[in-house]
Amino acid sequence: MRIHSLIFGIVATGCAMAVVLPRSAEAITDEEFRAFQQQTQQEIQQLQDQRKQDQQEIEQLKKKVGDTEQKVDETQKSAVETQKKAEDAQKTATEAAAQVQPVHPVPSEGILATHNFSLVGDAEVQFVKSEGQHSAFLLADYAPIFLYRAGDNVLFEAGFDIGLHNNFDSSGTRQAGSSTSVDLSFATLDYLFNDYVTLVAGDMLLPLGTYSERGAGWLNKIPDDPLPRSVLPGSGIGVQLRGSKAVGDSGQMVTYAIYGANGPSSTNGTGMASALDLDGNVGDTPNWHSDPSAGGRVGWFIPWKAHYDLELGVSGQAGQWDDAGKRLWSATVFDTALHLSPYFEVKGEYIDTWVQTDDIGTFHPWGWWVQAGYKLGALDLDFPMINNVELVARYDTVRDGLGARTERETLGYVYYLTNTLQFEGDYEFLNSSDPTQKNTLILQLSYGF
Amino acid sequence: MKRLHLLTPRRLTSLAIVAVGAMFVGAVAVTIAKDGGTTPARKKLTGAELYAINCNRCHAERYATERTAAQWKSIMLHMRVRANLPANQAKAILKYLQEDCGN
Repeated sequence: MRIHSLIFGIVATGCAMAVVLPRSAEAITDEEFRAFQQQTQQEIQQLQDQRKQDQQEIEQLKKKVGDTEQKVDETQKSAVETQKKAEDAQKTATEAAAQVQPVHPVPSEGILATHNFSLVGDAEVQFVKSEGQHSAFLLADYAPIFLYRAGDNVLFEAGFDIGLHNNFDSSGTRQAGSSTSVDLSFATLDYLFNDYVTLVAGDMLLPLGTYSERGAGWLNKIPDDPLPRSVLPGSGIGVQLRGSKAVGDSGQMVTYAIYGANGPSSTNGTGMASALDLDGNVGDTPNWHSDPSAGGRVGWFIPWKAHYDLELGVSGQAGQWDDAGKRLWSATVFDTALHLSPYFEVKGEYIDTWVQTDDIGTFHPWGWWVQAGYKLGALDLDFPMINNVELVARYDTVRDGLGARTERETLGYVYYLTNTLQFEGDYEFLNSSDPTQKNTLILQLSYGF
Repeated sequence: MKRLHLLTPRRLTSLAIVAVGAMFVGAVAVTIAKDGGTTPARKKLTGAELYAINCNRCHAERYATERTAAQWKSIMLHMRVRANLPANQAKAILKYLQEDCGN
């Protein structure tokens, strides 16, 4: 049993060793080993050579990338320099072009910037009912203003008043049909010498007060002119220098205007009171007028913020009006305007004139007016129609210096259909030494364009 | 009652004017109280502010889009002469109108 166990153990051990221990390879010869070793060494050498070659290629690629980045930087710098050179060239070209005076400037497409024609103005249609008279519709006024601008400092402007009137013969008897009247209200050439002096020449709106320059048509919230404006000439043919100077940066300014104009003259050359002609002297023959008149206005505008401002002005004119040059006509006007908020304004003028005559000595037409307006938009009610209403009132009075006097109180409204289309209405209470002056209702549609 | 005959139409009208004037003054007082009436800070005024100060004195606002840039140039030349505006203010107002006219 012991021998059998011993033999069994030896055989088992042999089997185990056969499994565990590697089988020994078939025996190789030295030559084969050396060949294998040599082959392996060759392969290793090849791998080393390949690696070395790869490293060289990597270095070359890195160098190429570096060169490329440098070239990109240089190209960018070159582009910046080129752009600067182009800008300098353009600037030089612009300066050179500014010095060139083309003989025939080529107009640009569309509206020209240097020459421009514009049409502005206003039109009014009225319905009028005076006590003791029939009511009627009137084309109260069509007042176009033509503006022609030549350059930055030259403007020619002209305004007309075009109306329709029933026909009358020379004796005052009503005739059939109607006629159209065309009145040149002003026509001036305006030349801006510099920032402070403007030359105005032609048929000028005279700066006696501010109404004639700023009270036209749709600008006037009451359909008719203040009574005392009738003692002043509204326009005159002559020349004027005007301008203004800002005071500080708050919008305050001082304004001036000085002018020479034909002024009032005589209808028959005499200095008789009845021959006074305020507007008629346009320099045509017969010219029963000895010398031109001179006048001017100084104004001071003081805003303390937008829509809060006060303006004060004093103006005057004087000159001989008769053919002999012995009789003086003169006028002084004080004007003021006050705005307190976008909703309230009050303005007025005091007008005084003196007329020397051959027959009655010196007579003294004078008058004054004050007008106020209050926009109901200030109440901020939730009714748009009420917010668009402005209540207006005016008191005006005039004395002709020969005994006639008229006083008028006007109550009215302006309804703003748009910013330039206004529906106005007022009732005028007249108290006059002239019995034909009666209380009057006026409704007016006024459009500014 | 005896003195009622003194209230002629003319005097009634005058009283009406005075009453309306009193209402105006009262409304103005309310408006000023609401608005504060503060003094503006000292700074250069913009074209829009100069427009509000000068142009609204005489007429309702004219919108910049009503005219082309070239037309505004002519109209502002007319208004500079008519309203006797200082040159720098007229230029600032023109710039404001031209920038906002859109054409």
